[in-house]
Amino acid sequence: MLSIKNLHASVEGKEILKGINLEIKAGEVHAIMGPNGSGKSTLSQVLAGNEAFEVTSGEVTLNGENLLELETEKRAREGIFLAFQYPVEIPGVSNLQFLRTAVNAMRTHRGEDEMNAAEFMKLAKKVSQQVDLDPAFLKRGVNEGFSGGEKKRNEILQALLLQPKLAILDETDSGLDIDALKVVSDGVNALRAEDRAILMVTHYQRLLNHIVPDYVHVLAGGRIVKSGGRELALELEERGYSWLGVEDEEAAAH
Amino acid sequence: MRPAPTLSSAFLQPAGEALPQPLLALRKQRGTALVDMPLPTRKTENWKYSSKHLKLSDELASPLPAGSASTSVAEDGYRVVFRNGVVDSEASRLPQVDGLSVQRFADLPDADATALAERLDNTLDSKATQMARLNSARFEDGLLITLKPDTVLREPLFIVHEVTASASGSAYPRIYVDAARHSQMTLVEEYLSSGDESVMVDSVTEFTVGDGAQITSIRLNVEGQNVQHIGATGVRQQRNSRFESHCVGFGGPLRRHDLQLRLEGEGAECKLNGVVVTQGKQHYDNHTCIDHMVPNCNSEETYRNIAADESHAVFNGRIHIHQDAQNSIAEMNNKNLLLSTGAEIDTKPELEIYADDVQCAHGATIGQLDKTSLFYLVSRGIDRRDANVLLTMAFINELVKQIPVEQVRDSANERLNQFFDHTFREA
Ligand SMILES: Nc1ncnc2c1ncn2[C@@H]1O[C@H](COP(=O)(O)OP(=O)(O)OP(=O)(O)O)[C@@H](O)[C@H]1O
Ligand SMILES: [Mg+2]
Repeated sequence: MLSIKNLHASVEGKEILKGINLEIKAGEVHAIMGPNGSGKSTLSQVLAGNEAFEVTSGEVTLNGENLLELETEKRAREGIFLAFQYPVEIPGVSNLQFLRTAVNAMRTHRGEDEMNAAEFMKLAKKVSQQVDLDPAFLKRGVNEGFSGGEKKRNEILQALLLQPKLAILDETDSGLDIDALKVVSDGVNALRAEDRAILMVTHYQRLLNHIVPDYVHVLAGGRIVKSGGRELALELEERGYSWLGVEDEEAAAH
Repeated sequence: MRPAPTLSSAFLQPAGEALPQPLLALRKQRGTALVDMPLPTRKTENWKYSSKHLKLSDELASPLPAGSASTSVAEDGYRVVFRNGVVDSEASRLPQVDGLSVQRFADLPDADATALAERLDNTLDSKATQMARLNSARFEDGLLITLKPDTVLREPLFIVHEVTASASGSAYPRIYVDAARHSQMTLVEEYLSSGDESVMVDSVTEFTVGDGAQITSIRLNVEGQNVQHIGATGVRQQRNSRFESHCVGFGGPLRRHDLQLRLEGEGAECKLNGVVVTQGKQHYDNHTCIDHMVPNCNSEETYRNIAADESHAVFNGRIHIHQDAQNSIAEMNNKNLLLSTGAEIDTKPELEIYADDVQCAHGATIGQLDKTSLFYLVSRGIDRRDANVLLTMAFINELVKQIPVEQVRDSANERLNQFFDHTFREA
């Protein structure tokens, strides 16, 4: 499904991704772990098409199609979804209006009729219950004044509404209490399907108890330095990153 | 040194002799006072950014020929139509409401005309509204709206100001509203045009708002690209009265609106909302001035400018709290959105506070659409145009929603959509 070859990317002239290689097949769940500042969010943002990051070389294909040539909105319509590490607050745009515009953009792309306000409200209410978010949050501005956990649930709500082919979850488990972690993991598990793939960035092995990955990768210094099965996550939890010869990013900078 | 340019004498020949004698006399007197009136220049503080857009060629001095104009929001309900500054009684539909009288200046008995002549211009600071003085020298007709005490008008009254630009010239619509104590009314003024010769509209609307009266004034400016519009609105408020203003304006070669309020009775409050949208090479200049003359009055002002392409928007908001006006509350907020690097917005809050026990807050910002927000929206598959529209509307939605007349909201939204189609068209 997704194939990343020798991907290099920089921001403000500084190279962050230094040759990423990764193959993700339909039906698989991949976890990416790694020290702070190693480039996990950069990779996620580059895949979603954030123009703040410049791809300097390498290629990325989604089902054989050159992803890097597509604009962000086209990537989304082809099935890429990024749950942001820091979801953006947009006061003045209601969450409901935002969600409905997004869902209808996808439906239009698929040649389906748009949903009217009433139909959409019904769907949105149902899905917000699924992620245990009070439907009152639909009326507020997008993520406006949401707590950290509420923002993360709102991201999963969007994933459930948009039904992506490849869901990239950037630390969607961070800042969640135990109950919320369960709710969010259930949401992610509901997305698992033969024809979908999930790429999740996390610092914690505990998420991987809920969403069992097929592969775990360690991203350090802009490269994937180790890949393995789910047992790698346990090992990392126990031993940290130093045994992999990975230095603390801060230290590496000096 | 070159002498400052003065108003051409061509402008001092008013048309229309149908007015009652006292108003003709007033007009004449105002005209005489205008001989040698220096025109605003770059050095004129209140016209600093706009004087270069003010084009007063002699052709513009001619009165406009009669004609009919374009579609208005006022399809149903009460309405008065001004064509080129003259009331068209046939096109007007007036309510029969006890306590309300709506009269053409031309129809006023001499005694009433004398009383009116004494009050015209009383709500405006003549030094700050040079062009309103020209209206006083040139108006051909006008509308006197009087509300007796306790009269409540349930439906809005629409005033449709149409100009027909089939030839060059100028129009001078004039309205005077006298709302006695505890009366209530919503007045919608809509400025439209047809034809494409170069014309100027110089309009003046005045309100006196009695004790406990509540007036809502809505102003929609949607004239064509050939129309310079210089307008002034003056308001004097008595005890416990409330004045609410909603101005929505789309740009032109020159759009200027001076809105001046005097809170003269304790407990008076006003709320002023404004939305301005400019594109191309348009220019829009709002000057507001609120005078807190007495204690315990509130004012709240919220203006938003959106400028695209190479357009230019100006906001100058003055709040003057006089020495006696203890316990005043004044809030002014102006936010500005630049949609292109070639656009320009100038904003200037001016606070003059002479009382010591006051709560005053003011804020002004100028920004662009947030790139991260835009990325977030498009990353959900939302069209780039729609994402831009959502973010731009987020900036003014609150103000549009507050406009209490649906037709005006709809018309504003329709115009906004045209603006979005132009501004966010696919590259
Ligand atoms: N917009 C930017 N401008 C400058 N530097 C940036 C920008 N975005 C990211 N970086 C830098 O790129 C590096 C990688 O950042 P990134 O956010 O990808 O790390 P991460 O692996 O997601 O870290 P964390 O685990 O803390 O979320 C960091 O050194 C960061 O400071
Ligand atoms: Mg990160």
